[in-house]
Amino acid sequence: MKSFRMLRLHFVLLLSFIALHSTALAQSDPSGKSAVTRTYAIKNATVISKPGSEMKDATVVIKNGLIVNVGKNVSIPDDAEVIDASGLYVYAAFIDGMANTGAKRPESIPRPQNIFTPDPPNDYAGITPENSIISQIDIKSSSLSSMRKAGFGISHSVPYGRMLPGSSSLILLNDADHMDEIVLSKDVSLYAQFVGAPGAYPGNILGIMAKWRNLYRNAVNHKNHTELYAQNPSGLPRPVNDRVSMAFHPVIGKSKSVMFDVDDMLDVRRAMRLQKDLGFNLMIAGVKQAWDMIDELKASNTPIFLSLDLPDEPKENKDDDKSDEVKALEEKRLEAYKLYVSQAAELQKAGIKFGFSTKGTRGNKVKANVMTMIENGLSEADALAALTTNAASMLGLDKVAGTVENGKIANLLVSTAPYFTKKSQIKMMFIDGDRHDYEVKEKKAKKEKSTDSKASETASTSNDPVAGDWSYAFITPGGEENGKLTFTKENGKYTGVMTFEDGTPDTDLKNVNYREGELAFDFEIDGGGQAVQVVVVGNVDGKNFEGKATASVAGQSFELELTAVKDGK
Amino acid sequence: MKMKNILTILLALFSTMALAQVKKGDVLIKGGTVLTVTNGTLENTDVLVRNGKISKIGKNLRAPRGVETVDATGKFVMPGIIDAHSHIAGSAINEGTSQVTAEVSMEDVVNPLDVSIYRALAGGVTSIHLMHGSANVIGGQNETLKLRYGYTNPDDLRFEGAPRTIKFALGENPTRGGRSRGIQPQSRMGVENMIRNSFTQAVAYKKKWDAYRADKSARKVAPEYDLRMQTLVDIMNGDVLVHCHSYRADEIYMLMKVFSDFNIPKLTFQHANEAYKVAPELAAFGASASVFADWWAYKLEVYYSTAYNAAILTNNGVTTSINSDSGELIRHLFHEAAKTQKYGNLSDDESLALITLNPAKQLGIDNRVGSIEEGKDADIAIFDGHPLSVYAIPLMTFVDGVKYFDKATDKGDMRLYVNPESSIEEVMIYDRHDDHRCLEGANALNLRELFSNKK
Amino acid sequence: MKNIKTLFAAFLMLTIIPLLSVAQEDDQVMKARSGKFALTNAKIYTVTNGIIEKGTIIINNGVIEAVGANVTIPADAEVFDYNGKEIYPGMIDGGTTLGLAEIGSISEANDFREFGQLTPQMQALTAVNPNSVSIPVTRVSGVTTVWTMPRGGALAGTAASINLFGYTPDQMFAGSKGIVMTFPSAGGGRRFRRLSPEEAKKRQERALKTINEAWDKAELYAKIENSDEVRSYPEIEALVPVVKGEMMLFIETNSAKDILATIEWVKERGYKQVILTGVSEGWRVADKIAESGLSVITGPVQAIPTRQSDNYDAAYANPGIMSKAGVKVALRTMEAENVRNLPYHAGFAAAYGMGREEALKAITINAAEILGISDQVGSIEVGKKANIFVATGDPFETATKITDLFIDGYKVPMTSRQIRLYDEFLNRTPGVDKSKKAIDIKKR
Repeated sequence: MKSFRMLRLHFVLLLSFIALHSTALAQSDPSGKSAVTRTYAIKNATVISKPGSEMKDATVVIKNGLIVNVGKNVSIPDDAEVIDASGLYVYAAFIDGMANTGAKRPESIPRPQNIFTPDPPNDYAGITPENSIISQIDIKSSSLSSMRKAGFGISHSVPYGRMLPGSSSLILLNDADHMDEIVLSKDVSLYAQFVGAPGAYPGNILGIMAKWRNLYRNAVNHKNHTELYAQNPSGLPRPVNDRVSMAFHPVIGKSKSVMFDVDDMLDVRRAMRLQKDLGFNLMIAGVKQAWDMIDELKASNTPIFLSLDLPDEPKENKDDDKSDEVKALEEKRLEAYKLYVSQAAELQKAGIKFGFSTKGTRGNKVKANVMTMIENGLSEADALAALTTNAASMLGLDKVAGTVENGKIANLLVSTAPYFTKKSQIKMMFIDGDRHDYEVKEKKAKKEKSTDSKASETASTSNDPVAGDWSYAFITPGGEENGKLTFTKENGKYTGVMTFEDGTPDTDLKNVNYREGELAFDFEIDGGGQAVQVVVVGNVDGKNFEGKATASVAGQSFELELTAVKDGK
Repeated sequence: MKMKNILTILLALFSTMALAQVKKGDVLIKGGTVLTVTNGTLENTDVLVRNGKISKIGKNLRAPRGVETVDATGKFVMPGIIDAHSHIAGSAINEGTSQVTAEVSMEDVVNPLDVSIYRALAGGVTSIHLMHGSANVIGGQNETLKLRYGYTNPDDLRFEGAPRTIKFALGENPTRGGRSRGIQPQSRMGVENMIRNSFTQAVAYKKKWDAYRADKSARKVAPEYDLRMQTLVDIMNGDVLVHCHSYRADEIYMLMKVFSDFNIPKLTFQHANEAYKVAPELAAFGASASVFADWWAYKLEVYYSTAYNAAILTNNGVTTSINSDSGELIRHLFHEAAKTQKYGNLSDDESLALITLNPAKQLGIDNRVGSIEEGKDADIAIFDGHPLSVYAIPLMTFVDGVKYFDKATDKGDMRLYVNPESSIEEVMIYDRHDDHRCLEGANALNLRELFSNKK
Repeated sequence: MKNIKTLFAAFLMLTIIPLLSVAQEDDQVMKARSGKFALTNAKIYTVTNGIIEKGTIIINNGVIEAVGANVTIPADAEVFDYNGKEIYPGMIDGGTTLGLAEIGSISEANDFREFGQLTPQMQALTAVNPNSVSIPVTRVSGVTTVWTMPRGGALAGTAASINLFGYTPDQMFAGSKGIVMTFPSAGGGRRFRRLSPEEAKKRQERALKTINEAWDKAELYAKIENSDEVRSYPEIEALVPVVKGEMMLFIETNSAKDILATIEWVKERGYKQVILTGVSEGWRVADKIAESGLSVITGPVQAIPTRQSDNYDAAYANPGIMSKAGVKVALRTMEAENVRNLPYHAGFAAAYGMGREEALKAITINAAEILGISDQVGSIEVGKKANIFVATGDPFETATKITDLFIDGYKVPMTSRQIRLYDEFLNRTPGVDKSKKAIDIKKR
């Protein structure tokens, strides 16, 4: 089965080369941005061809998007652009185990008339396993370039949505004129998460777990029925063209895995529980708390991608006269923090292979967080393996990516120093054989300025006290909601959009008004099947906003709080 | 099959088996006043626990080699307290998005990390009935747990072998949901209709599957699988015990009639503030009641309550328990039970049975727990005084003979998972009106529920 | 001459009277009565003057006329022999919404919350419903006086002490009032609120600013109030008696930080009659509270700790730790319908370190002193109001029964709707016809 998949992968690759070349030949490039040649020879480099294997003064030759030669005394093709990489370090570009990279958040789904039914429409309920991330890919998405800048060459990208958003795909983080050029492998796994539908069934983990079992068992029946019918349709009722069930057929047949997005320990267990009940092939990703289940993970052999999103290191109270109680609590909190940052090392110690997922992590935090894990016991080789070879093998990519070896896709990371050092900076990325250069800062790598086009956008609006992105915390009775508020000012008028981290569809902000430090706006969200009107009024103090949110529903109102911090440099 | 594969499978099996094993303890509790509940009070008596079970009750028992002895001289030893209605240790409480959600189960959302578990242990509680909320007419299945605090795998807290149970809800909660959403039910008539319809549909569902199973042909097509209907079928087969949130006498009576019609024999009414009004009917039907000691007046349907409810029920022969429905109250259920001595003159054994044997019966686990008897699980609480005294302080709590709470060595901060990004001085001031999670999902006009659906 | 009307009326009388008399037997109207009463042979817990093992109390004109082991019983007194029983001063709950809240979930039946942040002039006493079903339910458990208070905004209103017997608020009024203020919290708040320490601090500062402005205005108003030109400003006027030291100010404050900040605030303002309420984390800063000399009304005692990291029994132990540190402590339930559980809150405090004697004081004399009514209630002393209950034993013990009750000198009947329902339903008539099935089973 696996080899068949590989075969298909090569086929897709082949197609994409043809596409690239034809466009390159057919058009001139007045922008002057195209490369003269797609053949490169990276000379005099230190090549870390795979974890634990390093070659000094080596050359890597790239041609037609593939690595064609790696070694000390290799011949350099005539059409090659020679890059002197003295003092530079070449790694295989990283592979992201799970992210939304390249995907555009779909428009929010309009709320159906009556959602308080046992069976709300599938798209609202978030049950769309027949969908694919392909329909959400936006080649202009800044996430492609920002994750590439962070060292990634391939992303296992998952679609936005709720419980079963659709299938994931492997995406090359390259510039492209057409989406097909960057899709390395389509519909790789069925993506699942514990996100309920706002106010509709399944509304939370209770409903999601039950719905999963129900869908799956029906899909099994549907598959049996379909196969029976295919053998001989005579006298049998025709199987319904049930797209949801059909999306499960390859999962039931185990030719496709389920990738479950699970962060906390209990979610991990819930995913494993479903796997145990139903028997599909499971991969888990986004894992943040696994230290208490190392034995189980090892026994189950579940492919696992740890989250690269680490908690911030707790800050100690600096008072001299702090009480013993405070000291003890701080110590306990620090111990908890250590569990998060050292769990990669613990897994490594137990012999569990894992990759990483950047979902929920910003590109510029990737290296710092990996370094934190290394400081807490993870070996550099294992960190690199997690970012490259482990991810490649778990995603079925080990024949085409993950190492700097002949025949592999030319996905390379070129760094100014050994990558896992404080001072290292990424100087170049090669994706699918295409070169991307980055400005290397002389002094502190920390103050690295974003060259993203997005940065210039925010710069132009940065003088406005309101316009721009804000990260908010909305304190509701059900817990804290987080996400972004984005305000835009046009012709003196503000408009805005609110996004939710939990997968709730984006909502437009209405009646945005700002006067002398006071900002007011309102929006509508769904709570338990009813429209909740929320009016927010508060004060902007520099980058901080503190507001009172009055939520009204069915004639009653409640006071909540909404605070936000403006995103900036 | 290749040898290597076989070995891997064996290894995997072995390791899951090893994980599923929770600790079982051995201990000799010496010289205490043993409140057996089923066999009266035994002064100056020893209880020997071997491998998690009570192996011997008697005088002058000797501790076998290696078995720890606990001196209970002057202390009171009682069966671990069982709370038949709890919402602690749950990551979610209500799937309140539809009026019938029989398919969902609290076993999927057990949260072993909740520090409330430890606090309940510190009140002598050893088992809880983790219930779905009461937002919908037929809610979800509940989960019976043993409070083995410290395990992080939810499976390790399960009460192995406890029967399945499910939550129903009558009255204001489901009808309020209907009113606020403009659908049925908006009255107690609608609630009855919804339950009858559900069972009628389940009967039809069962017929379809029975026919399919009886069909001997190889070329047969399975009917649609519906976990919701299947659960209702399981209820009718007696495999799932119903625990129904209810308050008023009329609705309690109504459900007994419905259950008679569908031949469902076992039924426990939860809260049941007006059960005392139909106590003779409950006794005749064989239904039981799990009630508050004295909570009332928090809504219209509990305005005509009386704190004598448990006593009236007990005197009428109804198996009655006292529950908490609260992370606070659960810590002093022994005190709640004692209130029936003030309100209705129950004897010590009758009062203690309200929080031990009777809830065990209602949960179908009375063959395992609920009294101190040889052969039963060693779920035991030790108090410094008689547990029905207001001054009684729980000292130790054992589950399966393993000590999970010991006042003498209590460490204070018992959190299992600490959020590294939290403030160490996060303060929440207790308000009883916030501590009512059953109603949490019930009140559709309550934002707590509205927002809790989001995660 | 008898016309048809009178005949008809007579007929009616004939048919109805027997019915009425039956009804009277079952649901007799029991009235309170006053008079000269002699309560004899009881063990008397005076609270302020020790225990009289076998003593007598004479009640006349609503007050305690005599108490002691050797009291001459007036010839015209009605004598109650309480041999084997114990007599206590009526219990006092230092914080409730009793009389203001009837049915929790029905907002129309709740009158303790007024709209607005600054509403100190709102009078709880006005909204006390003397006919609340909860009042008899409470008093038959021996609680005879409560502090009933508005809740909500920063300055929610004016609370009042009431006795739990009377037909108008004035008949119930126990003689003291106080302004209720909530000190802005820097430590979070109720269950669902979660703020960073910085955010919380900022919020506190802002809220404090609003409160301080109100008090500044009140201080100014106090200086100029005799001027003819001064405007009417009910919100501020209500605060003036506090500024002048003529009225009590009850400040709700709970987290350790907030308590310390409140003590500082009180010191700076210099107000004379200030009481701290809530004080859930008082145990963390008990010495500082003692040092400040402020009294405390704390509770509920049966509560979960304020922090996830706290000892499981932190709330049980809180009153004891404070009283041991030298703080004058009274207790409260913060209940409406379940104020009857006050003795159990005291019992838990007693068991977890406060001791029985201190716990008894906390719900009698300490509460009376803190609420400014100790000249009237809180102990069994000559000249005090006859608020007394008779019990079969220790009233903290759960099984103990209260058998008799005197409020304001009235012998109040020991009944409530809950007791009447018990009487009616313990052996219901008709019960179940044993010859038939309890529930008709439809044959299918």
